[in-house]
Amino acid sequence: MYFSKEHVARHQLDSFNHFLTHNLQKVVNEQKVIETDIDARGKSREPVWVELGTITVEKPVVREADGSQGNLFPSEARLRNLTYAAPIYLTMTLMQGDARQEPFVANIGQLPVMVGSRKCNLWGLSDAERVAHGEDPLDPGGYFIINGTERVLMTLEDLASNKIMTEFTERYNERIYVAKVFSQYRGYRALVVVERNRKNLLEVSFPSVAGHLRFVDLMRGLGLVSDHDVVEAVSTDEEILTFMMQNLEESECDSVESGIMYVGKKLAPNQTRDYQKKRAEFVVDNYLLPHLNYLMPPNLKEEDEGYRQAVESVRLAKAHFLGRMAESCFDLVLQRRRIDDKDHYANKRLKLAGDLMEDLFRISLNRLTRDIKYQLERASMRHRDLSISTAVRADVLTERLLHPLATGNWVGGRTGVSQLLDRVDHMSVLSHLRRVISPLSRSQPHFEARDLHPTQWGRICPSETPEGPNCGLVKNFAQMVEISRGVDDENEVKRILYEMGVEQLKKEAA
Amino acid sequence: MPSPKRIGKIEFGLLSPKEIRKMSVRKIIWADTYDEDGYPYPQGLMDLNLGVIDPGLRCKTCDQKASDCPGHFGHIELAKPVIHVGYTRLIRKLLRATCRACGRLLLEAVEIERVIGTEEEATGDILKEKDIKKERLCPHCGEQQLKINFEKPTTFSEMWTEDGKKMEHKLTPADIRARLEKIPDDDLKLLGINPEVARPEWTILTVLPVPPVTMRPSIILENGQRSEDDLTHKLVDIIRINQRFKENQDAGAPHLIIEDLWELLQYHVTTYLDNEVAGCPPARHRSGRPLKTLSQRLKGKDGRFRGSLSGKRVNFSARTVISPDPNIGVTEVGVPLAVAREMTVPVRVTPFNLAEVKEYALNGPVRPTTTSPCGANYVIRPDNRRIRLSDQNLQATVDLVEPGWTVERQLRNGDIVLFNRQPSLHRMSIMAHRIRVMDGKTFRLNPAVCPPYNADFDGDEMNLHVPQTEEARAEAQILLSVQENILSPRFGGPIIGGIHDHVSGIFLLTHETHWFRKEMVLYLLMHHPMENLPEPGKVEDGVPYWSNKQIFSCILPTELNMVFRASSCESCDTCKKELCERDAYVKIFDGHLVAGTIDKKAIGAFDGQILHRVIRQYGMRRAADFIDDMTRLAIRSIMLDGFSFGIDDEDLPRTEQGQIRDVLETAASDVERRIKIFQDGQLEPMPGRTLDETLEMQIMQVLGKARDRTGEIAGRHLGLENSAVVMAVSGARGSMLNLTQMAGCIGQQSVRGERIIRGYDDRTLPHFRKGDRGSAAHGFIQNSYKSGLSPTEFFFHAIGGREGLVDTAVRTSQSGYLQRRMINALQDLKVAYDGTVRTTGGRIIQFRYGEDGTDPSKSSFGSPVDVKGIIESEIKEEV
Repeated sequence: MYFSKEHVARHQLDSFNHFLTHNLQKVVNEQKVIETDIDARGKSREPVWVELGTITVEKPVVREADGSQGNLFPSEARLRNLTYAAPIYLTMTLMQGDARQEPFVANIGQLPVMVGSRKCNLWGLSDAERVAHGEDPLDPGGYFIINGTERVLMTLEDLASNKIMTEFTERYNERIYVAKVFSQYRGYRALVVVERNRKNLLEVSFPSVAGHLRFVDLMRGLGLVSDHDVVEAVSTDEEILTFMMQNLEESECDSVESGIMYVGKKLAPNQTRDYQKKRAEFVVDNYLLPHLNYLMPPNLKEEDEGYRQAVESVRLAKAHFLGRMAESCFDLVLQRRRIDDKDHYANKRLKLAGDLMEDLFRISLNRLTRDIKYQLERASMRHRDLSISTAVRADVLTERLLHPLATGNWVGGRTGVSQLLDRVDHMSVLSHLRRVISPLSRSQPHFEARDLHPTQWGRICPSETPEGPNCGLVKNFAQMVEISRGVDDENEVKRILYEMGVEQLKKEAA
Repeated sequence: MPSPKRIGKIEFGLLSPKEIRKMSVRKIIWADTYDEDGYPYPQGLMDLNLGVIDPGLRCKTCDQKASDCPGHFGHIELAKPVIHVGYTRLIRKLLRATCRACGRLLLEAVEIERVIGTEEEATGDILKEKDIKKERLCPHCGEQQLKINFEKPTTFSEMWTEDGKKMEHKLTPADIRARLEKIPDDDLKLLGINPEVARPEWTILTVLPVPPVTMRPSIILENGQRSEDDLTHKLVDIIRINQRFKENQDAGAPHLIIEDLWELLQYHVTTYLDNEVAGCPPARHRSGRPLKTLSQRLKGKDGRFRGSLSGKRVNFSARTVISPDPNIGVTEVGVPLAVAREMTVPVRVTPFNLAEVKEYALNGPVRPTTTSPCGANYVIRPDNRRIRLSDQNLQATVDLVEPGWTVERQLRNGDIVLFNRQPSLHRMSIMAHRIRVMDGKTFRLNPAVCPPYNADFDGDEMNLHVPQTEEARAEAQILLSVQENILSPRFGGPIIGGIHDHVSGIFLLTHETHWFRKEMVLYLLMHHPMENLPEPGKVEDGVPYWSNKQIFSCILPTELNMVFRASSCESCDTCKKELCERDAYVKIFDGHLVAGTIDKKAIGAFDGQILHRVIRQYGMRRAADFIDDMTRLAIRSIMLDGFSFGIDDEDLPRTEQGQIRDVLETAASDVERRIKIFQDGQLEPMPGRTLDETLEMQIMQVLGKARDRTGEIAGRHLGLENSAVVMAVSGARGSMLNLTQMAGCIGQQSVRGERIIRGYDDRTLPHFRKGDRGSAAHGFIQNSYKSGLSPTEFFFHAIGGREGLVDTAVRTSQSGYLQRRMINALQDLKVAYDGTVRTTGGRIIQFRYGEDGTDPSKSSFGSPVDVKGIIESEIKEEV
């Protein structure tokens, strides 16, 4: 089994199949509705929105000049410089005020399909049938065909997100102890840093805040008011307690309100109090540890009842997370913990073809919804009847999906993500499909990152790496690598944890 | 041709508005370029006065065609002055150094004197920003000075405190200009500015020069659409905003709008000059690509300076793969016929060579074989018209040839060419060779010239250039030819000499004594031009025999006397001299090799002693011949027996294997013992080291020794009948360490000088216990390459190997940059006739070249005179 031909590109296929079966719908569910500003535009207009339903992907087809359609096979796509892509259908329901129109299944564009994946026309075919369709039965698949060229999505290796990492940094010849987290939520990545300065004071910095915030005051703003709560969120350890005392002394706030205002003053100095408060809450909710925002129940709107409460509980979770960061920072100071090895493979996560397609599809769908919104609004301005079929322009999504695949310029400014499959010989094909690239810049030495790390045993091939500037940054999977996926349903994990006696975070009565 | 002119001096200064208007041929007021018919708008950015790019049109200024008109500047009158980004630092300095009211320097005469010295004793220093204290009173008019704040890219403001409140006032470019205008000329001189060519207010632009269209041509796309240059796009923006600004100004728009427009104009002018300024979003093309504006054109590797001026493409050059040919001389290069046919040398026709030259021309461009006489590709008439020779026009054209014409003759054997391999890191990377036309498609070179080029034959390509003038050829022959470059200017020793097989071959030939019969002697010396064989060394049964040392002596110059020790010498405490059992004591007496083995020390590249002596005593020419003779002899002698290496050459008998195992076992237990001592807290730290470091060092030491011991055991078994040993001992390739690793034990793998420590918690791999400090757990490889590695050993070996790969990759890129910086710093320095090293301006860099006045290439491994060598050759004995 391990040495069967499916194994070579299995990670690519598995990842893409998972994207097709789960994540595609997940991305649609994230979007959920397309809201329009039609009610705000004119008088006596009802609000209009579109509800997004299930998404389905067909099998790859080719549309000829005479309008006929036929199944497309990879060999034909290669020979005729076609794109191996399948139409995507999305169920959409137009809502006008209380009136609900019939659900409409719209073709929203073409999704490039990985050769050999679940939606590939070769799926489930025998070797003989593959040969009949002009395909090499030994071809591993795992790549896309865009305008006739075979394109492989490179597996990207990145530092694990949402994980507390400790390290030293040198500033003015002084050692500064830092706990960092790359917090990631729906493609947005934010670096949150808690550091201990010379005077044992904790400082927090995160995107959109210039400079640092005092740890304790931020904690207060997040809802941990009493000194006891703040300290408890960090640690009950004696030594850490003394550090925390110093921090508490420096604190200038004594309530949630003043804590939030402290953040607001930093963010928008010389603005009105109302604006400062709004801005501070917005920033804290969106840019501070965004990965905890998954705790927000979906579909909860600002007007809804219980919204306030949900927001507060998320803030509380953030406060406790910051507390953990502070604790690990102090642990490092007290030498109870060593700096994290960034090259340890436990601290790495791989972004495979499916994850990349998910990122791409999210942005593209977003574009499409904006376009639909614009089309609906325009139609409404001209007093036409609104309909989904005229509002959906399939090219918008297709173009957005194809261009990054064809050029390798992925969303988020990454280049070289999709590469032309190296067909020099069979071995180079296999090697190319199993390549892993590191986002580290090749112009800097990065000696440690280029080293072969013992934790790569069994995961990354110890021998295969290019010579030259990319040495050690471009890697290849080991023969028997097995790529696991995160758990989709976290409730199960949570249930087990609670059964084991973990206490739930609750806001204690003040 | 215009007569050459000498440049007296170059003066750098700022363009004054007056000058900009003077050099401008047209005031540009329209942002549009072409009208519907594709004809340029008058006073638009493509105005015909600025030069022409379309063929067929004529320039309105100089009335020349597109190909001849160099283009002319225009100008834009800016509605309000804006700052030139390139001078913001200068402006900041001037604002801070001068009074805000009277414009004088904020220093009294005494203070100035302190920095720049009195009139008689000027220190040569100029005033710096630091010399002026902040926020003081002007010593001339008593005005209170305010702090000048500068915010990137182009914002200046004044800051002061009033009633405890911080106040800020923005300075407009017009304000700044007014201030700069007030600075008197005399004060500027103290600041290191020559006011005649660079008045500071000219750093604030009031007029913007519009570069000629010829430097921003529009291109016509396939679909007939015009696409404008980035500069034109930017100029369009500037003109548009400028126009709007003017209109608003005339209409008396509110202050706020004017300020906004002013800032916008400033932004456009800033990005027009430099689109990569810090604190300023780059201006982008519609597609989102940042525009390439003026400064981007000049900067960087592909910029105007490094890309277009310092680097050039050349004609009369060829490039192809190189391959070795030990049968051609070191000064030769084999050139494929296809190259020789294409490349030419111009021959000026005179009455004396008329017949000969006509013959070349008559041969025409085709040249069927390497032996056919060289032809000619072109003839050039006295009026510089080039005529390509072809079968059709051959006879007719050749009949016309007469003195005064030039014939471009094809390359032929003996022509001198320059041969080069990149990277050209030292002067020996380009040398002059004589060509030999050969079959095949590669350049052929003697393997002995590989070291100076750092070439090998794994696919390397090299370039060849044909000098076109008599002067160039003379220079190539006298300065660049291979024999002139045998001595390296790096260390004064030969850089060209025997390599690899040459060394092995000559070692096998000259080691100890064996005898050859006449036919063998003649075979070995086949290529050596000599009249008579020496007297035979011995006669047995009436058959004459010559010794191996006699044979080698044949290629030595007569009267050569020297004594030295070969690479196989182990520097024993007392040298047994001629009786050395390794035959490592080399003695040459009157051109006869009396004792010793010839190897790398004698004839190798980089440290060939005989070579070096031959050069010093007999000159470069003789040395080149010696290298040719020696390499041919060496190749012939290595081919007598053949020379090969196989996997079974690493075989060791059981007894040795057992010994190796024992050594490794004792080493492992020694390591365990030391760890025990460490764990018991009994370890004494070495001075300046922690306990951990001490232990690590001890372990490394123990294991290193164990590896060497296994090497010795293996070496004991492997003698000179083993090819790898021959190579290692003679210095041809490899070392005993390599052999140790193949047959004995590979030894400790390390990363940055330490054992392998990274990995999982407290252990490198899950195969070991946590906290295991033993040898195997941290990358010691007991096995040899022959015996094969265990999986963990293999992995550790890969870790160690990776470090080497990364190191070479990082080093090459760094050394390239280092080299570039050094060349930029040292270029144009020369040794003047008085022995000093000077810049082109005559400034002295060194009073004597290299502080000792010695040319390293004329020195003997660094010392100016080879005293020992001279004495040796006179008294013919070792000193």
